[in-house]
Amino acid sequence: MSHPHLLLFRNTGPETHAHLSADERQDLIERWNAWFVGLRDAGKALDGRPLELSGRLVSGPGGKRVTDGPFAESNEAVGGYVLLNVADLDEATAIAQQHPGLEHGLIIEVRPMPPTCHLGVVTGPA
Amino acid sequence: MPPPLRHTAPVAEDTAQPGALVEHFFREESGRLHGALLRRFGVHHLTLVEDAVQEAMLRALRHWSMGGVPPNPSAWISRVAINHVLDALRRDHTSAAKQDALTFTETERAADLAAPDPDNVIADDTLRLLFTCCHPTLPLDAQAALALKTLCGFNLTEIARAFLASEAAIEKQLTRTKQRLRDSQAEFALPAERELDARLDGVLATLYLLFNEGYKASLGDELLREDLCAEAIRLTRMLLAHPIGDRPAAHALLALMLLHSARFPARLGADGTLLRLGDQDRSTWDQAAIDAGLQHLARAAAGNQLTEYHLHAGIAASHCIATDSAGTDWARILAHYDALLELKPSPVVALNRAVAVANCHGPQAGLDAIDAIPDVDRLATQHLLHAVRGELHARLGQHAAATTSFRRALALARVAPEQLHLSREIERLEACSD
Repeated sequence: MSHPHLLLFRNTGPETHAHLSADERQDLIERWNAWFVGLRDAGKALDGRPLELSGRLVSGPGGKRVTDGPFAESNEAVGGYVLLNVADLDEATAIAQQHPGLEHGLIIEVRPMPPTCHLGVVTGPA
Repeated sequence: MPPPLRHTAPVAEDTAQPGALVEHFFREESGRLHGALLRRFGVHHLTLVEDAVQEAMLRALRHWSMGGVPPNPSAWISRVAINHVLDALRRDHTSAAKQDALTFTETERAADLAAPDPDNVIADDTLRLLFTCCHPTLPLDAQAALALKTLCGFNLTEIARAFLASEAAIEKQLTRTKQRLRDSQAEFALPAERELDARLDGVLATLYLLFNEGYKASLGDELLREDLCAEAIRLTRMLLAHPIGDRPAAHALLALMLLHSARFPARLGADGTLLRLGDQDRSTWDQAAIDAGLQHLARAAAGNQLTEYHLHAGIAASHCIATDSAGTDWARILAHYDALLELKPSPVVALNRAVAVANCHGPQAGLDAIDAIPDVDRLATQHLLHAVRGELHARLGQHAAATTSFRRALALARVAPEQLHLSREIERLEACSD
């Protein structure tokens, strides 16, 4: 049985990769894509994409406080995600550990997703 | 409620083959993009253009690694870079170029800099950039560093390593270079017919320097340095493909690059030690590169101009066509060096000539030739001078003098394979005298 897990990529901003040479950049892209395509073809990765590094922060009653953010420079900002469908947290962790971006400072957060949403409605594949 | 899970990744729709980048895309794209942006915005915006290219490359890295490479990566990266320049110009209210930039926005923003018929445009832009980098107001090494940065996509660290200089020194030099280009209002244009030859000389000299930096030190940091040679060859080929560069001297330059690079695979032994020409396995020389080099050398013979590139290429060719070390036509090589010394006297050429003398007339004649070099002192800090002396003394059986020279050379040698080679020679000599 498989469960959805979310990989969240942090530390993906320009400051992380600015020092890489042209060839290293190209190499990273190719290995990163190969990592994803391998998972996709094996049915392990369901979705994945980058996030723009800045957008809006909405808070306060009625969502009245709208500010620009998160700040693009922040290492903490989530820069992208991959949605996995794997047996358990250990398998998701093992997949994250294969990521070619780790050697350049990528931080991957591995988070199991519960099969139900807070209303108790089943939203994912059983 | 969260959206239902999808079983097919949406990234697969228009990017079925993520990672499908042509070889050296980022490196070559950097030169194309610098050229295209400078054509549109002017050389006085060089710093801004460099920022834009860097920004575009980094955005591409993020987006393409996580979302797949788009169908037309050149167009994608051009658009990001143009937007970056325009945003910066719009923020800069004092900019005199603002109006131009905004006009450009309306008419051309949507148009790709990667035009549908890219070959000519790309080649022209890149060549213009090459001629800009080789502006006569700039010193030669500054020209080469700028070319590496803008045309070849090298970063500061790589340039510093290529020139065996500190990053701070290179950065300072590049800043000065940009200031000069700005001050001189250098035009981003192919030079007019009448000044073509003068400018072309500078371009060839820069390309030669680029190649030489890679060649002479390619043992220190193998991959990068061979890249430097490969870039020099790529740019020279591009120059030759255009009518303004299709000159005998340029053919001679490409010939010498190809003939030298043909021997790359044989320069190191299995244990990483430097192999002298006589000890190399000639079967590993790149025959295709030799053939191409000889063809360009033949085309270089058109016209009546004899340049240093002709002579250097002639020397390299003599080595390449010899079936073995003993069969090398040293008399011919010596004649080339004699001509070279007359054309462009330098202690390094004179030292190389001394090696040819030794191979023609014996090691003592070689040593005498070295002593006769007028400004031989200028070579005192070069390991090569002492290595050659050591080699000639050793051939004469003068072990003590040979050891002394090799030790001096070892103290000055900067790259590992040379150090290894010299250590071996010293060990061998010490074993002989025991």
